[in-house]
Amino acid sequence: MLDVGRHPNIELLAYSEVEKVEGEAGDFKVTVRRKARYVEEDRCTGCGACAEKCPTAVPDAFNEGLGDRSAIYSYFAQGIPSTHTIDPDHCRQLNGKKCGICAKTCQAEAINFEQEDRIIELDIGAIIIAAGYDIFDPSLIPEYRYREIANVVTAIEFERLLSASGPTEGHMDRPSDRAVEAEIEALEKKAKKSQKALDKLEKKFDEPSAAFYGKYQAGEYKGDEDRKKWADKYTSHVKIVDPLEELKKKAEGFTVAKRLAFIQCVGSRDFRFYPFCSGYCCMHSIKEAIIAQEHELETHSTIFGMDIRAIGKGFEEYKIRGGNNSNIIYVRGRVAEITEGPNHNPVVTYEDTRERKVKNQEFDMVVLATACAPIKGIDTLAKTVGVELDKYNFIKTGSLSPVDTTTPGIFVCGCAESPMDVPESVAQASSAAGRAAEIAFQSELEKEKAVA
Amino acid sequence: MSKDILVIGGGIAGMQSSLDLADMGIKVHLIEKLPSIGGKMAQLDKTFPTNDCAI
Ligand SMILES: Cc1cc2nc3c(=O)[nH]c(=O)nc-3n(C[C@H](O)[C@H](O)[C@H](O)COP(=O)(O)OP(=O)(O)OC[C@H]3O[C@@H](n4cnc5c(N)ncnc54)[C@H](O)[C@@H]3O)c2cc1C
Ligand code: SF4
Ligand code: SF4
Repeated sequence: MLDVGRHPNIELLAYSEVEKVEGEAGDFKVTVRRKARYVEEDRCTGCGACAEKCPTAVPDAFNEGLGDRSAIYSYFAQGIPSTHTIDPDHCRQLNGKKCGICAKTCQAEAINFEQEDRIIELDIGAIIIAAGYDIFDPSLIPEYRYREIANVVTAIEFERLLSASGPTEGHMDRPSDRAVEAEIEALEKKAKKSQKALDKLEKKFDEPSAAFYGKYQAGEYKGDEDRKKWADKYTSHVKIVDPLEELKKKAEGFTVAKRLAFIQCVGSRDFRFYPFCSGYCCMHSIKEAIIAQEHELETHSTIFGMDIRAIGKGFEEYKIRGGNNSNIIYVRGRVAEITEGPNHNPVVTYEDTRERKVKNQEFDMVVLATACAPIKGIDTLAKTVGVELDKYNFIKTGSLSPVDTTTPGIFVCGCAESPMDVPESVAQASSAAGRAAEIAFQSELEKEKAVA
Repeated sequence: MSKDILVIGGGIAGMQSSLDLADMGIKVHLIEKLPSIGGKMAQLDKTFPTNDCAI
């Protein structure tokens, strides 16, 4: 990533989109919209002082909504470019409210609320589409109750939970427990505020609130407005503190998730959604189970699948190693339903095809291996660039020309073409680069011919 | 001079194409819709089957 940012031959146009493509192989005219960041790219040092002070919290897309970021943000800590961006949908200032705290904080004077989108034109020989894929939305499968049961997560969410730089710093904290902890934090803030108000009154009347309240209820201060206010404040304080103590007691019992279920083919190999195999998800479930067990040695994982597809170099060995060394059990069977048991534990109902029995099993957390879905907006992009899509909305290619689109001079690589893992994406990328280079150098040769 | 190449998408695939072309001496314009490049791979903790760090 760093190499891309630093390479003298690469002009990095992040936060940008293609607006228009005209012409043909060897001679495309491309119009690009550079979206306003409201931060001057050449001034911003990426220090993050603005983000620290910004009062607006927005669900963090990089962390799959498992944490918050500010309205001024860098997409992720090591992101290239490190230039910060103001989110125009959430920034107070850009929505007509008073703020501008980031501008006051920024030492580099990089904030510019007046910045506008810029349109640039490029002369291009060939185009490579590498727009990637989307995570299949598992809430389309109602029987898995994703979003309804907090401890049913997607594999990409689980990646963020595993990450040391993620929202849980690599601990397998369960979403249901994290929700309680967030509630505790919010209540603690409230309690602190109301305690402060009570402190003042206690000082004024030189009496602890509880003792006063006993007398107040016995009718001692009838008609005393000040004391009525105190009594009201005290009762509302108790209404915060009591549930807070209860939640705190509950939280003492929280442990990390140690019984994990991984459910394969969520949206893949399913005729209601995508009949194809997404290829990489069997492997990432094994990977996630191995890493989870490295983080917490007592972790046991069950991977539910019709079969485990481990067909790359070193993949079968990886699968076996996971079973031998990382407490992974592979169960052949398709999961019919997930329900919620006691303590927010997901319960998996499945048919064990070896024993021909329907079984229920309780877990601490369930991870859904979601399908590789075509990326949102690919239809617009395909239309703009001028290429055809296949029946699933991946970029159409031929079986003997896997990086050639339907239009000469336009190539494709990675998951924009079809589901594939990283090694395959890299191989296709080099292949597409080779095809594009032919065109780049051809026009050079033609120019030389013209001169001669 | 050779013609410039446009790469749309700054995930692992787009980054690899860009680097290959740039190393051949070809000028590349890499377009990414999000504020930073990296794509899905940047979100991964580690990658199979070697468990190397993703970024
Ligand atoms: C949970 C999970 C774990 C995985 N683990 C592994 C693993 O361990 N090992 C492995 O080999 N594979 C793994 N994979 C698969 C891996 O994520 C993909 O193979 C790889 O990310 C594909 O890269 P890509 O560049 O094609 O797509 P992406 O990573 O999706 O990158 C595409 C980029 O293009 C940008 N873009 C999209 N549309 C536009 C547009 N219109 N204009 C400009 N830019 C655009 C996107 O913002 C994005 O940055 C995993 C997948 C998942 C879901
Ligand atoms: S102006 Fe917007 S981005 Fe800046 S601190 Fe205020 S809310 Fe955050
Ligand atoms: S890789 Fe595994 S989980 Fe993914 S679709 Fe194929 S069989 Fe199903």
